[in-house]
Amino acid sequence: MTGEGVYEVFARKKRGEPLRHIGYVDAPGDELARVYAWKTYDEEKWFEMCVVPRGAVIPVNRDDGPWGRNRRGEGDDG
Amino acid sequence: MTDSAPSPLARHILSLADTKRLLGIRYSDWILGGPSIETGIAASSMAQDEWGHARLLYSMLKRLGYDPFEVEHTRPAERYYSAPALDDPFADWADFVAATVVVDGALSVALESIAGGNFPLARSRVPKMLAEEEYHHQFGAAWFQRLAGSGGEGAARVAAAARAMLPSTLAWLLPGDGLYRDLVADGSALSLDAVRDRCEARLGPTLSAARIRLDDIEPARAGWDGERRRGPGAPAEEAVERARGDRNRDLFVE
Repeated sequence: MTGEGVYEVFARKKRGEPLRHIGYVDAPGDELARVYAWKTYDEEKWFEMCVVPRGAVIPVNRDDGPWGRNRRGEGDDG
Repeated sequence: MTDSAPSPLARHILSLADTKRLLGIRYSDWILGGPSIETGIAASSMAQDEWGHARLLYSMLKRLGYDPFEVEHTRPAERYYSAPALDDPFADWADFVAATVVVDGALSVALESIAGGNFPLARSRVPKMLAEEEYHHQFGAAWFQRLAGSGGEGAARVAAAARAMLPSTLAWLLPGDGLYRDLVADGSALSLDAVRDRCEARLGPTLSAARIRLDDIEPARAGWDGERRRGPGAPAEEAVERARGDRNRDLFVE
């Protein structure tokens, strides 16, 4: 378990389709994040779904999105 | 429903169906009021799974000579075959978590016991139910281990809840009576030893987080009701009224 936090949820409907970001869940660890994601975003019949801790997503070209603070670093005012 | 005692297979299926129907109701009580939005959504989804499985199981009884509508909508509480741990509402979130491990886990083992047997409807329908149950198992295991490992009040409460549910649930899962032996003898279900092994494999690792060993738990067989495959008592009337759909019976359309 990685500890309390937000997990971004990605999924695709068919093999070969790109993964797309479909939402997020709050979970106290990896195992519950998997369950919460599957149970929360169950309106579609997904071929594949995965979760990523929000803190592990590193933005490339923008710092003003939900993941911007990861690029700036925890506690960094910049 | 027929007036005669159920066949071994009918008792098993009805016991599974009623337990799933009641478990769905108990889960649904926590769609609001759990620790987070996500737990409420999970409770809602798990309740739907249980009700869907119950409906499929009730429909299997048609093949065994029962009228599924009569079974679902007309029986009084004292004719329910559900596991006694679900007779009363969960008092708190620790009860909910313990039930996902103990009762939902035992239900999955009981389903596994007929998945490879000689009842064709079980062979075709149960595997999908078990696949859906895997998320219940992961949910229960993660929450149980989290609470049990917290060392605080949560640890004490979830351990106490599991200990309270285990004796009656083990008796329900492992009915060492003639009807169950008949079920095994005709190839419909796994032996009690095999069921016990699967129960240990499924529940044991999670319960160990609260230092609970299944070998130390004595199944509660006092007052055993062989026809209903459970100990004495019955689910609370309010839950049975919801299970039967009494309040809106006049609006029932199918």
